[in-house]
Parts: sequence; C-alpha cells; structure tokens
Amino acid sequence: MTTHYFVRDIPRRKFLEMSLKGGLVLAASSPLMTQFLSSCSTGNSTAPGFAIDQSILNKVIAKALEKGGDFADVYIENRVSRQIVMEESKFKSGLYGISQGAGVRVISGNKTGYAYTEEITEEKLLRAAEVASFVALNARMANPVSISETNRQSFITVQQPLGGIADEKRIDIMKRADQAAMDYDKRIKMALVNYYDEVRGRVIANSEGVYLKDELPMMFFIVQTMSDDGKARHLSRERLSKHMGFEMFDQFTPEMVAKRAAREAIAMLDAQDAPAGMMDVVMQNGWGGVLVHEAVGHPLEADNIAKKIGAFTGKVGQKVASEVFTMVDDGSIPNARGTINFDDEGTQTKRNVLIEKGILKGYMSDILSAKQLSMERTGNGRRESFQYIPIPRMTNTFIANGSSNPADILSSTKKGIYVQSLSGGSVNPVTGVFNFTCREAYLIEKGKKTVPIKGATLIGSCLDVISNVDAVGNDLDFGPGICGKGQNAEVDAGMPTVRIRGINVGGSRA
Amino acid sequence: MQECQQLGFAGLMLADLELNYSRFTIERSIMNYIKLTESLVSKAKQFGANAAEVYLETGRNLSIQVRDGEVETIEEASSAGVGFRVIVEGKMGFSHCNDLSNNALEDTLKRAIEFAKLTTPDSNNLLPNDKGYTQVDELYDPEIIKIPMDKKIQMAINLEKLAMKDPRITKSSGAGYGEGEGEVFIANSNGLSKNFKSTSCNIGVSVVAEKDEQKNTGDESCSRRYFADLLPLEEIASKAAKKAWELLDPVMIPTQRAAVIFDPDVARSLIGGILGALNGERVTQGASFLKDYLDKPFASPLLTIIDDGTRAKGMGSAPFDGEGVPTRKRVLVEKGVVRGFIYNTIVAHRAGTTSTGNASRGGFTSLPGIGTHNLYIEAGTNTPAEIIKSTDKGLLLKEVTGYGIDPVTGNFSGGATGFWIENGEIKHPVQGVTIAGNALNILNDIDMMGNDLDMNRGMAAPTFRVKEMQIGGM
Repeated sequence: MTTHYFVRDIPRRKFLEMSLKGGLVLAASSPLMTQFLSSCSTGNSTAPGFAIDQSILNKVIAKALEKGGDFADVYIENRVSRQIVMEESKFKSGLYGISQGAGVRVISGNKTGYAYTEEITEEKLLRAAEVASFVALNARMANPVSISETNRQSFITVQQPLGGIADEKRIDIMKRADQAAMDYDKRIKMALVNYYDEVRGRVIANSEGVYLKDELPMMFFIVQTMSDDGKARHLSRERLSKHMGFEMFDQFTPEMVAKRAAREAIAMLDAQDAPAGMMDVVMQNGWGGVLVHEAVGHPLEADNIAKKIGAFTGKVGQKVASEVFTMVDDGSIPNARGTINFDDEGTQTKRNVLIEKGILKGYMSDILSAKQLSMERTGNGRRESFQYIPIPRMTNTFIANGSSNPADILSSTKKGIYVQSLSGGSVNPVTGVFNFTCREAYLIEKGKKTVPIKGATLIGSCLDVISNVDAVGNDLDFGPGICGKGQNAEVDAGMPTVRIRGINVGGSRA
Repeated sequence: MQECQQLGFAGLMLADLELNYSRFTIERSIMNYIKLTESLVSKAKQFGANAAEVYLETGRNLSIQVRDGEVETIEEASSAGVGFRVIVEGKMGFSHCNDLSNNALEDTLKRAIEFAKLTTPDSNNLLPNDKGYTQVDELYDPEIIKIPMDKKIQMAINLEKLAMKDPRITKSSGAGYGEGEGEVFIANSNGLSKNFKSTSCNIGVSVVAEKDEQKNTGDESCSRRYFADLLPLEEIASKAAKKAWELLDPVMIPTQRAAVIFDPDVARSLIGGILGALNGERVTQGASFLKDYLDKPFASPLLTIIDDGTRAKGMGSAPFDGEGVPTRKRVLVEKGVVRGFIYNTIVAHRAGTTSTGNASRGGFTSLPGIGTHNLYIEAGTNTPAEIIKSTDKGLLLKEVTGYGIDPVTGNFSGGATGFWIENGEIKHPVQGVTIAGNALNILNDIDMMGNDLDMNRGMAAPTFRVKEMQIGGM
C-alpha cells in the first residue's frame, strides 16, 4: 500500500501516544527474560547485557526454515522507558514502561512470513517460528548456518548509564528548563516540558550464522512554550535527542533548549500573513534537512525501487540533482539520534553516499530489498519494535556541506522566504510530491530577513526541488525527528544553509 | 501452481489461528480478567495508592499484503498488556507492562506508585465513578475469525486484479487485508469495573497510473466492524483506479482567490484542527483558537458538528471511553455556535464541569488523553453536482497535504490537488497548488453544505464549499 511517509518534530499528544512502546501478547514469566530484565534495570551501556542460550536460537531458526525458505531470523527485544511530563510548571505525570517480545521472520523469494510473541520461552519462540514458516511452504530451502557471536563496530558511548540515574535528577533537568522558559519573557504563558529516556536491548540471530546483542540508550527532551500578547499566540518547540547517557545534559543544557523554544515563541508573535505562490526559499541549516529526508530520502529507500514504482527507479548513475547537491545517509555518526551501530537485521551501519554532486549513487536497503535488487546491504533495515518486520529506513540523513558562505546565500537572494525551522512534512514516494510546514519563517526583502510570517506549507516534487538547489552553505547541522512509514523510527535530518529556486508557498495573501 | 500453494498455506494457517484462539480463551477467560483487574486495584491500595485504575487490553490481529497477484507478507499475533494509573496523595503515576505474570504485574504496579511520588499534587487528579454503561450495538463480529484465511488472501488478490483492470493503470503498489479484535477491561478504586470487546476489518488497494513521464497514485480502502459490511471489491477497486488516473494531465493555475469545494475525502483536513481547538485541556490552557467562543457564533450557520460514541457498528463507537465513562451523542457545534468542549475526568474537574465521555486511550501503554468517537459534520441539502454547478470559478479539492488547521492559532495552509471549475463545469485537473487562510474566516465562509454524508468514516463530512480562499499557483 502506498502511504505518505512523513517526518515530524513530534506534536506533544502524539509523542505521549507513541513514545512508550508497549507490546501486546499473552505472557507469563519467562526464564530467558529474567536475565534480560535484570541486566537492563541495572543497566546500561552498549555492552552486551544478557545472553540467550544459542542452541535454542539455532532450533528456532531451523524450525522457521523447516518448510522451505531462503532466510530466517529471530529478533528479541526488551525496552525499559521512563517519561515525565511537566505542564504549566507542574509535574503532571510520570510514566514507566516495560515491553518485551520476540519476532521470527521467514523470507522465501519475495514473500515474508512474520509472527511475534511477548513471552520469550523456547516453546513460544518455536510456535512463532512455525507460524512464520507457512509462508515458505513447498519452497526451496536454505540450510541455516549455526550461529556464533558476531562483532560489529559501536558508535554509541555512554558515560552516565540511564539505569543508574536517580529520578530526582531527571526532575531537576525539567525544572531548570521550565524556569528558563518562563523567565525568558513575561509573554511566555506556559511551558510544556517532556522528558523521555529508554534502554532498548536487542538480540539478533539469523540463518546466515549471525548472533548479535546490544543495548541502545536513548534520550529525548522536548520543550514547548506558548506565548500570548493578547493579540496573537504561538506554540513553539525545541528538541534534543541523542543515543547517549545522561551526560547529554552536560553537553547541551536544559536552559539552552528552553531559551531556544522561548525565543521562537516571542519572535512569532509578530507573524504576518504569508504570500502565496512560487518563490525562492533559503533554508537555515539544521532540521530543515527534513526537506531532503522526505523529498529524496524516502524515494531512495530500496523497497519501492524493488517494486519498480519509486520515483528514482532505474536512475542510478544518472544526473538527478544540481552539481552542488550531495546527499548522505550515515548511521555511524557518534551518538546521534539516528545512529544504531548495526541495524535491526544485524547489518553494520555505515556512511552511504546517495547522491554525489548531482549523480545518483545508490539506494538504502534492508536484507530483502538488497537481494531483490542485487545490491549491497547498506545497514538500513530497521523496525519500530518486535511487533514489526524490518523495512528500509533512514538513519541520519543530510545534505553534505557545500562551499557557500551562509550569509552570502541570504544576501544574494533578492526576494523570497527564509525558513528558519520546519514542523515536518510528508511525501508520496511514488510520485515524489512532497509538502512541508514552516514553523518559523521570514520574508526575504532585498537580501535581508525582515518580518516573520505565519506557518505556510511548501510543496513541490522531489526531482524538481533537488535540481533547483543552486547554493549550498558550509554550516552543516542536524535536528532530531520521528519518521513514520507505517511504523516509527528515530532519525536525524540535517543540512547546511541551502537556497532552492522556485518552491510553491501556501500563503494566505497574494 | 501459485494458487495451489496458497490454498495449502491458507488451510494450515487457519488451523493455527483456531488453535491460538481456543488456547487464548481457555487460559484466561473473561471472568478471570475481570477478577484480575479488580484484584490489582486492591493490591494497588495495599501498596500505598489512595486511588488506582487498572486498564487491561487483550487482542489478536492479522495482516495480509499481496502484490502482483502473490502474497508478500503475512503477519499474525495475539497480545495483552496492562496499564496502571495510581494517585498517591494527589500525585499521579503511570506504568505499563506486557508480561501478565504475577511478579511482573506487582513490580510494574510498584513502579507506578514510586513514580507518582515525583509529580506535583493536584486536587483535580480524580478517577471516574460513573458506573453506567451505554448500550452500543454490533461492535463485535463473531464471524470474522471463522472466515478461512484463503478467502481473505483471495479477496486481496481479487481486489488488486480488479483495480489493475483499467488500461490506464500500469502498476500496483499492492493490496491488503487486515483484521483485529480486542477486549478492554477497566477497573478502578471507585468500584467501577467494565469491559467490552470489538472487532474491525479492512481491505484496501493502491495502484499507479502512468502516462509519458507522469505518475499518479490512487488508494482506496474500506474499514468496518463487520466482515459482511465490507464494500464490494469492484467498488473499492474502481475508486482507487479512478483516483490514480483522473488527475493525469494537470494544468497549472495562476495565484488567485477563488471558491474552494472540499470533497468528503479531504474534509478531515479541516475537522482535525477544529477538534484540537475543542479539546477542553487546550481551552483551559488558553491554547485554542476557539477558547472564547462558547455559546458564541464562530462559523457559518451551515456548520453543525456532532460527536457520537453510541452509533451501532461505528468505527469510533464504544460503550464507555478510555477511562470507563459512558459514551454519549453530543452536539459540539450547532449552526456555527460552539455548544461545548470535550473533556476527560481530570480536565473536566479543573474546568469546573464533568467528563463528557471523551477520554481517549492509545492502548494500555498510555494515560487517557482527550479525543472524539465518531465525529461528523451534519449533512446539508445540496447534492455535490449542484455545488459544482453553482460555482463560477473554483477548485474542487481531492487531496490536501500538510498539518491542517493549527488548533492554537487557527492558521491553515496546505498543498492541494483537484479539479478546476469554471462556469459550473469541471475544466481540468490541478496539481501542485496551495490553499491557505485562517480557520475563523474559512469556516465563516462555508456557503453550501452537501447531502452526501458517509457515516462509515471515523471523521465524516459531506462535500462543502468555502466561498473564497487564497490559492497559490504560478
């Protein structure tokens, strides 16, 4: 089914719904899981924290391939999460979650069978394997290779493991953010502070003999502020997210996050109606990279290419963008939100150049699409949780640095829109038609940023927009987001300051 | 050959499902779950909670994806989990787990109580005590599970084949069938204990029409509580195909102000933001563009919005909301006047009123939020054809992208595709334009309301026309 893929910087309600991942299933206590849980609760580094009897996993993989099939894998997951919500300077609620489960997958030709269980016992794993195996009935069978411990490079380091952090320290971070936001300006009427952390433990074993385990810590901190001056209102948002321990707040203070949010809320009080129609757009460095995440990244995920319906199908080696345009997906940036060491199928993540100086170099694949397209595995097979099959997803996706000075890009733009931040957007990966909504934007008049304008939507088609990029700055930066494609993935999107000639802007005046 | 394989496959899968289901019912009967939730409420009080709520959910789901006439994926699972909401000296904590063993449940419950101690006491932190139960008919179809797997697979394959029949359709993105059933058990320390079960099933397809360098997708799907109510495959298929080809060969229009007609498919782009602004918590916090409009006109008299949690077979219907308060049918907007906001128990108490039965729940992993059940705009008197015919110059919208109305400011901006109308006639397709405005202006400018309301959608609206909006083109 074609869905519109989107990325957003996480509306608060949605965040509440989505952040605490729960599994569903019939469960009883499980001897295997006890080990898992005890390791996670004390916690925490990316060092392997638990062990599962390898002979059981070998049996499960053999069972999964009993009826036929090319490939089988087992994915076991445990997630411990904490979320604290502060609104109107009060701690509204604290949420603690434990979710565990395992999925067994069989690939046979182009078919995938998948079943999961929340009870991690030998019996339930074998049943899941049996259910998944039916998809390969009467197909040719691959002989599974006995699993053995596999090494992968790690890009995630932890100094202050989350399991060892007292809840009072989390509370203190939030209070500091709230205080800084409310102190910023008396027109700030309310701050919404959302703290989330989790440790996700993974075990991956497959019929190629791979056996991997690790624990990924994640921090996610969001400050929203609402300004009101009696005439206008604006709800702003600033986010901070890394795969790292609590030391994230030594590097990036809660006050910094809060002040950035408050600055936007005050600046946008003066927003005027945006103009409508085609105009030049300069996008500030950072989270604006969501534009290429949507417009180019999703259409370069190999699943739609394998179906021969993607917008970039058959275009490898061809010129698809202007020569100043280079785009990369890199799952190995140290501690970044989109970094995962190895993907959820066990493939090492790495730096993948997708478009180099305008020439299309390759796609982002998972195991199935790599096989279908006879291409390499790029380390992009990701899943939201054990309840989902892995599919090709982005990690940290960005436009590479160019050579222009950001100030020159602005000053050489006579008239247009300066987009300081975007809320997010979506794309139809088949047609390549995308849209983004501006969070903070300004008019450009005679090469200068002038009045702020109300949140306008920008629309266009992916092939047009990357051909119309005519200036790329040298100030690459990133921002965190949640990417949705039937299931969620944590990603970073990034870019330097960039100018795009001729985007249709959805303003409310002529 | 392929067919044989699928039939064999399907037969086995069916046996498997039945096995799962019977085990499920034997292991944990409904009575056991009622007792379990009630006993966990008592345990919460023993552990130190002054008030507690236990929300237990069990479910089963199946998803089949096919493409080019073959099965692509089959996913299957059954599941259960519990969420604990506790109040300790006015402070609220929450925890959840998907492990129903006694040890895991007790550990998780203690976590909620520990976590509550971190939060700020609030006298509004209360649990509902309305023990009523609204009679809502036909939410559970016992037949879905009995229908053989091979029939479900074949339906998806047939649907795809039918959608591909049109010569203008060149590729398929796939078709799918999905079903789920779930049961919810809620018990709290006010003596409330309720449960209900429901089913849903859906079938859909997505196809691509290509012409020269142009590509366009068309998707159509149908969701129902009862399997027998799914629309005929021919109808779904032809709608998907038409959506894919009807917008080929678009012509760009100049930037201008003109009438905009919202098709029922795109009306939700406006409804979502209105719903956000009627959310009692946003109103209380001053973060709603409708906060000052209670019992005051803000929109055209043609606009009446109703939320109905009680409709038989409704996709959003339930006998009680996400924290156990009985559902009802409420007029939220009457002839352009706000008649009431929507509340859960805590937010209602803060606003000095009572819950409207609008506690929403994203499953056992989350605290109750605020949401609607079956929200719809009441039908008017004009046929869609009359609305088009009476439009001198305007845009008939078939698709709107973007975030919809901003509930805080009422600002609206989106990407749009559809048809250009001149002198009451459709002239040509339009793609890649924008539309924008402020919600208060847009909703005041609704000047025609259609009679083509399809109540089978969770958020439903008839065709309606906005007299004038800003359109961005070349």
